[in-house]
Amino acid sequence: MAVQREIEMKGIPTVLITVSPEVSAQMRPPRALYPDGFKIGNSLGKPNMRDLQKKVLRDALTLLTENTRPGDTVTRAYPDYGEYHEPPRVRKGI
Amino acid sequence: MTISRKCVPFTPFERELSKSTIAIVTAGGVHLRDQEGFNIADELGDLTYREIPPDVDSSQLMVTHHHYNHKDADEDINVVFPIDVLRDLESEKFIGGIARKHIGYMGYTMQLKAMYEGTAREIANDIDKSSRADAVVLTGG
Repeated sequence: MAVQREIEMKGIPTVLITVSPEVSAQMRPPRALYPDGFKIGNSLGKPNMRDLQKKVLRDALTLLTENTRPGDTVTRAYPDYGEYHEPPRVRKGI
Repeated sequence: MTISRKCVPFTPFERELSKSTIAIVTAGGVHLRDQEGFNIADELGDLTYREIPPDVDSSQLMVTHHHYNHKDADEDINVVFPIDVLRDLESEKFIGGIARKHIGYMGYTMQLKAMYEGTAREIANDIDKSSRADAVVLTGG
């Protein structure tokens, strides 16, 4: 996303939690975590599942300290979420 | 799929998380109940953003966004704006602290150029000048 790139250009490291990995990949995020199968509106998981939310946020922040490749998205599974939603696809061609 | 060929801006993180202050920036249309909501009537989208203070009571936050189902965020704002989660990580000393300013905007617009060259830069300037964040976590889409 454009905002992430602009913040990074200010010299502040960033990490994106995306639930539309194909769509966000088009903007080449400096760092990104995709919690596998989470639906739009559930970036951190489900309401009131604080342990799951903490796990996702810890993993996202930990990506800051790892040797990720800029532009790539790291996918992690969180079975506690208990659902799987297909992420939105990018339309190909015309 | 077309991948942007623009180079990826990348700032290495050279600190320890336990000593770092974190800001949240969300495209999920989050704002305070007493702030003006985003304009969902305009099909072109709303290019403004809202500043959210670090000591906000999460029950005072709400979502105005018409391009995703925010029923879950209405129940617990932390699913898109994890301010209480960040507080938990601070009390566990996983992070050093909460930044002085957080941002909510509506990450849907038909005015891409104005978003890229206007709003995105304004948010980045604001975070840079007044949040004192060592790193930023973004949510949305």
